[in-house]
Amino acid sequence: MMRSEATRSVRFGLIAFFAVSFVCLLVVRELQVSAKESVPRVQLHADNLGPREIEDLTAKSVPRDYALAWQTLEQALAENRPGLLDAYFTGFAKQDLVQRVNGQIKSGLRTRYQDGGHKLEGVFYSPAGDVMQLRDHAKLDVEVRDGDKVIYQESLNVEYTVMMTPGADRWLVRELQASAKKP
Amino acid sequence: MRAAFTVPMLLVAAFAGAAEIHAPAQITAGNPITIQTSGSGDATFYLIGQTQASKRKVQAGTDIKVDSLELERAGIYAAILCASDGCSSANFAVNPAAPNRLSFLVHPSRVPVDSPNRISAVAVVQDNFHNIVLKPEPVKFSVMPEDGKEVSATRPSENGVAWVRLSSAKKEGPARLGAAIGHANEVRVVRQIAAEACNLRIKASRTKKDFLIETDPVKDCSGNSVPDGTVVSFTKVDSAGKANVDVPIKRGVAKVELPVQGRGKITVASGVVTGNELELGGGQ
Repeated sequence: MMRSEATRSVRFGLIAFFAVSFVCLLVVRELQVSAKESVPRVQLHADNLGPREIEDLTAKSVPRDYALAWQTLEQALAENRPGLLDAYFTGFAKQDLVQRVNGQIKSGLRTRYQDGGHKLEGVFYSPAGDVMQLRDHAKLDVEVRDGDKVIYQESLNVEYTVMMTPGADRWLVRELQASAKKP
Repeated sequence: MRAAFTVPMLLVAAFAGAAEIHAPAQITAGNPITIQTSGSGDATFYLIGQTQASKRKVQAGTDIKVDSLELERAGIYAAILCASDGCSSANFAVNPAAPNRLSFLVHPSRVPVDSPNRISAVAVVQDNFHNIVLKPEPVKFSVMPEDGKEVSATRPSENGVAWVRLSSAKKEGPARLGAAIGHANEVRVVRQIAAEACNLRIKASRTKKDFLIETDPVKDCSGNSVPDGTVVSFTKVDSAGKANVDVPIKRGVAKVELPVQGRGKITVASGVVTGNELELGGGQ
């Protein structure tokens, strides 16, 4: 009698342990997926970049910092937090985006991006290494809400002309100018 | 079945005066536009763009004027009209206007004389609203030495960027570098400074207790004075051992007082350049 009760509790214990482990596994996996989704996918092609040859470290830091810039841009426009733009934007790019977020706050609007990735093409890297021009072929699903109401939804292929300059510990986006993608 | 359902729905929408919006596909930055709408009744107009997120009440079916101030930055804009029957939108592109500004980056601000291709000058072509003009445009670069003749060359911009590499002159002094397009004429000053010291020489004289070691005026190989503050290192080896003293150049020369025990040797160096050696002591 005692033995069968002990066996039953061991069995329940094992089931509970496996159930909790399975749930933890799912949660961890979900967190990993959302973390991956939150930083947009950026691929840099630097084959035609010049006149300065890109350094190995720069070839890694430019796409990383550009992806983080887009992550903060998307978060700033979704949550109307202009302060987020300080980290990876400077110059006119920052000025424009701050103005856009302030406009959204005034009008009660929010913009959400579903980021389909960025193909970044190196165009110009100055001889002194103080400025880099890039062309970004971006796929974006854009949704604008006024309060809870969706007022605009569009899938866009946008080409951005990007100017980046090195900061103290990262590359900063100085210009971000969109144009309609050529067919 | 779906078609049979859709067609009457569209007809109903048309007769009910569904609000629609028509914007020009492309415009030039800094120009006002008129956006046509259809339908009737109260509606809300939204303009979403590079720097824009605005909203205002309008009447569907009337023309909406968008001010030039709202269309200064190049990019993709969305004009949205929301009425009681839903929202419709039109995207349009704002393209840069004519080039009339330059963002001019010159690096470095101080450069040693006679350094080939050491100065980089990059000009980003912009319109009046700081949009990058991507069409090729001629940019005139010029170099204006302090007491020389202006030299200029024109380079076409590519994707909004024109650049040149320049060599510094043989004589020290400021050089003015300019870039011009339209009404824009940007100038930056690069200081050309003496290169490394050349023919570094020292001499010694007796003071009451020690020796005064002094350089001749420190100059580079082109005869330009090496700037004050440049460090000159004196090394003394005597019976007391080896000692180093770093001294900045002041008024063209570097000098230091050193005690020498017995016979000693003094050497001098600045950067990668070494000078002459002096042997001192024994009352000399």
